[in-house]
Amino acid sequence: MTNSPKGFTLNNADSCRVKFARRFLRSLIEIKTRQTNYNNNLSSSPSSSSEIRRRSERIKLKAYSSMAHAVGPRKAWTRALLLKLHNRAKRHRFRTRKRSSLAMVLKKKRVFRVKNHANFYKPAAERGNYSVLNSDEKTEKLRELVPGGKAMDICSLLEETAHFIKCLAMQVQVMHEIADQLSN
Amino acid sequence: MQPCSREMQGMSSLLNASSSQISLEDLQQQQSQSSSSIQGSQIHQIHASHYEPPPSHDDFLEQMLSTLGPPSWADLGGQPGKVPWDTTTTVPDGNGPNNKPRDDETPDNVPAFPFDESANLASKFRNHQISGGCGSKSAAAAAAAMMLQHQLMLARGGGAAGAGETGLVPMPLSLSNGEFDRSQNDVVDGSSSFKSPTSGCDAAVQALYNGFGAGSLAGAGQAPNQFHHPQGGSMAAQQNYGASGPAMNQTQAPSGSSGAQPAQPRPRVRARRGQATDPHSIAERLRRERIAERMKALQELVPNANKTDKASMLDEIIDYVKFLQLQVKVLSMSRLGGAAAVAPLVADMSPEGNGGDCIQANSNGGTHGRTSNGNTNNNQTASSNDTMTVTEHQVAKLMEEDMGSAMQYLQGKGLCLMPISLATAISTATCHTRNPMINNNHHHPPIGSNGEGPSSPSMSVLTVQSATTGNGAAAADGSVKDAASVSQPW
Repeated sequence: MTNSPKGFTLNNADSCRVKFARRFLRSLIEIKTRQTNYNNNLSSSPSSSSEIRRRSERIKLKAYSSMAHAVGPRKAWTRALLLKLHNRAKRHRFRTRKRSSLAMVLKKKRVFRVKNHANFYKPAAERGNYSVLNSDEKTEKLRELVPGGKAMDICSLLEETAHFIKCLAMQVQVMHEIADQLSN
Repeated sequence: MQPCSREMQGMSSLLNASSSQISLEDLQQQQSQSSSSIQGSQIHQIHASHYEPPPSHDDFLEQMLSTLGPPSWADLGGQPGKVPWDTTTTVPDGNGPNNKPRDDETPDNVPAFPFDESANLASKFRNHQISGGCGSKSAAAAAAAMMLQHQLMLARGGGAAGAGETGLVPMPLSLSNGEFDRSQNDVVDGSSSFKSPTSGCDAAVQALYNGFGAGSLAGAGQAPNQFHHPQGGSMAAQQNYGASGPAMNQTQAPSGSSGAQPAQPRPRVRARRGQATDPHSIAERLRRERIAERMKALQELVPNANKTDKASMLDEIIDYVKFLQLQVKVLSMSRLGGAAAVAPLVADMSPEGNGGDCIQANSNGGTHGRTSNGNTNNNQTASSNDTMTVTEHQVAKLMEEDMGSAMQYLQGKGLCLMPISLATAISTATCHTRNPMINNNHHHPPIGSNGEGPSSPSMSVLTVQSATTGNGAAAADGSVKDAASVSQPW
């Protein structure tokens, strides 16, 4: 990566990027080796359209998973994303991956929930919610976009959205740089 | 969690009085009995972060803010100077704001016919170079620090935002404390949404905060409610911090307030002028303020977010998130190993129901009954270098949504659709300076640097290809609309 300061002390933003980059590159390598193994075994064309689509989907999922892992289970959206990825992995592969980290994620999730706002468990009307934002169609759309957004009130949803946007931007930037490096 | 040894060192440096130590232990005991040791460790974490280099989030925050463009924090008075913990340079990527275009993502390569929602997103956010750095990073960080302090003050153990931003504590110490003080006075009496802990905590908490100062308050905003609320009385007693309170206080409450002055301890909530002391309305007011803060934070993150309306702001946010996700998808596709994979990938796109006057060389859709000349153009695509790859895929994404609504959306955004012949004429005639303007939202200033040499010929190549495909296709309605929409921004 051209812009990561290797000679200096890495601050936390950079460490996040470096963590993400490392994980993502590792997943890329893993996908590549899996692809070549698959091709060696079954001589299927690597450039068939469905194969490519599946591979890109896999890469995309790996990108999100690397990012969620790099950020850690601190935020609600990373926890939701990690859970979703884990469930998907379990469902699709029928083998348990990273059980221990999943358990850790769940434990942390419980712990974090203790500190949640007291209003969370009350219905919207009782919270004194006169703001339209909580059940707007736009907020619904936002909830769909942000992982874990369905179970949040508008306050935390906005907060999570901000952090999510930040992480997405970082992810896009890093992936962009990686693509540049790989294509040069 | 955080390394405990570091926290202990930080704590020992903080503890300058034995009484404070004792009170901390008392507090810890209280804490442990009421909840897990999480809070204790969090207090450690908070206090440690008061002195240690900022943990995870805030530098990440700075980084993100720096790369995502200059914020408008004039109202909060963000200083353009360096903040104490800013250890990095102001230009992390080596890219100035919008001055280093990525060859494979130059906006002017995006053709003039974004038919799709994804195209809308791409065109809308084209000028927002994610890779571009920003010179006012420290301003962003400082302002964000203050803003998040705000959040911490008002978020009583609510959000996880407090977790990350405890590192921001050092700077607006007095400000936040005054702010916190005031807001505490608001909610300390009769707020139904918060549980108040046992009164036995009070003395311990008071001593604790006498020892540690206001910064820990901000960090403790993350701690559970029970830890927070006895501070209402204790904080009120510490008026030495309230000096800079008014600066932040104004942002919190309307100025006509007749009560809740930080000067004296106030066990009772005084009504602001014209507002009731009803706990519901107070809670609701706080909640609205919190929401407003978060929306402001989001406004800084999302480009082109100069909308004051909440609904349109939400629209922008949603669009931006979709755009970023689309970029991830496109990038993950372009990662498949170079130009060789592009052609089959591109061929893959065409049967996927791509529509319309595809400016790209790859595909024309069958869903709208247009002739598909994609295959003939694939060779050209394959031969193009990878700088075009991402753009191509991005544009290939255009063909997924409904065209009519896409057009309407574009017109609503003030984007300009133009007939391909016109685009060709413009691009060949006026070269790069025109290219950004062709597709741009009028909010975005044209990026001169994007119009490099290679991009304009590619632009004309694209338009030529699309001319052949588009005119050949049954795009009558499309071209009519194009002509119609041209008149709008021009």
